[in-house]
Amino acid sequence: MNLCKWSALLAMGAQVLLSGCDSGSQSKPGETATDGLRDYMVTFSRPNILNLVDLEDDKVVRQCEVPGRAAPGTVVVSPDRSIAYVLSDGFSNAYGFALKDCEMVFSTNQADGNIRVKTMASLAISPDGKELYTHQNRVKLLNDRYEIQPPLLAVFDTSAGLDVPPSRTFPAPRQVTIMTASATGHVYLGGPDIYKMDATTGEYEVALQSRSLQDPAYSPRDILSVWPLGEVNNEWIRQYSVVHFLGESGDMENAEFLWGHERVDLLTGATGSREFGPLDRVLFTGMPRPGNMDTVYGVLNQLQVFDANTQSVLRTIDLEHAYYCINFSTDGSKIYLSGTLDDIAVYDADSLEKITNIQVSGDMGMSNSYIFKRTVI
Amino acid sequence: MKHLKPLNKKAELLDKAADDGTAEEVFQMITVAGCSATLDPGWEVDAFGGVAALCQPMEADLYGCSDPCWWPAQVPDTMNTYPDWTKEAKSAGSDWRNLDAVYPTDEE
Repeated sequence: MNLCKWSALLAMGAQVLLSGCDSGSQSKPGETATDGLRDYMVTFSRPNILNLVDLEDDKVVRQCEVPGRAAPGTVVVSPDRSIAYVLSDGFSNAYGFALKDCEMVFSTNQADGNIRVKTMASLAISPDGKELYTHQNRVKLLNDRYEIQPPLLAVFDTSAGLDVPPSRTFPAPRQVTIMTASATGHVYLGGPDIYKMDATTGEYEVALQSRSLQDPAYSPRDILSVWPLGEVNNEWIRQYSVVHFLGESGDMENAEFLWGHERVDLLTGATGSREFGPLDRVLFTGMPRPGNMDTVYGVLNQLQVFDANTQSVLRTIDLEHAYYCINFSTDGSKIYLSGTLDDIAVYDADSLEKITNIQVSGDMGMSNSYIFKRTVI
Repeated sequence: MKHLKPLNKKAELLDKAADDGTAEEVFQMITVAGCSATLDPGWEVDAFGGVAALCQPMEADLYGCSDPCWWPAQVPDTMNTYPDWTKEAKSAGSDWRNLDAVYPTDEE
């Protein structure tokens, strides 16, 4: 572990500036800008830009140029808030950039000979920042055919520099689209179910049933999960829709359609599911509001607010265009809508009045947003 | 699958794989062997049978769907055969005129 990372861990959230280091600090819900920290967002946009957005001024303050082709633009930030990692180059490789000056400090080399590797949106970092994880979909490209290889969980040493091959790999479940890592040292993989893997041994098990659920009172869950979300609440969530049969199982005439979240607590590793409201329009992502976890906001063409306790809609407003990805300031006061086109819409979480639009270099597509608190850059 | 009849070889393979209990191997082909292996035809109507719940405008959905082969029948395969299709259109909303039809060439 290098000196910068030690400093961040020892400081436990305080502002730390050592000579030659750029160390932010861990964000915690409810902290305010008066503690010398402020909110930032990282997101990716076309043609190949990693954006650092100052959320106090709602302005882009860094644009780091990412090698290779665009997409998917999945981003995570190191625990000491000094390095942003982005999955790009046509779902092929991950790159790490120092936030203070956009220097590229890390990159992966996922391809292995004639085995091509594609990673959907599965990118996660260990709690100490020493290891980066990807889920690899592998195909052997032969002269006359493709041969599907078993998927792997790949572990990369973040201090190894550029063009880094995995330091170790483990057999992994198929069809994984998003991942995270908890403080307990486990990697959580979002696939047909949510799997928990020991990042040292590679042993894994089902942590939360999803597709394998067999409850006659509910339909199978429908999940669109390419946005790792929830970091500002110290959780990792993926949204699902489900039919709740009020009478006979399978009777669609006597049923309610609901939205819900599957959840992993990033501190304890605890998992759970919760339906939070009626499905009366299509939403791509949703999140509980920091500081008020019973109020859930969802987005696509509209921004919708739910009371999770009563499973009711509190309010719905139309948006200027569709946004895929919702997120909050760390104190829960502002909503950030991103993905799709080339602007990030900022809304007041109480009034739902629009505050501003933040212009980025091009379309964000399926990139997620990662919001965190750190020292001023 | 009793109401669906396979119309091409790929659909026949999926039908057979379902009978053999190996359908997951077909699912795994999605996005890693080319957009032509993706079975999702793309959205034409929304979940309610209309179009109001589709992303508005459609340009907002274009890269989020074309990048991961979600619309394999509607747009070029940018993951494999036409990786530069969007190169001259960093913003689909304002640059959509640069998104042209594609044709096979000797180089490709």
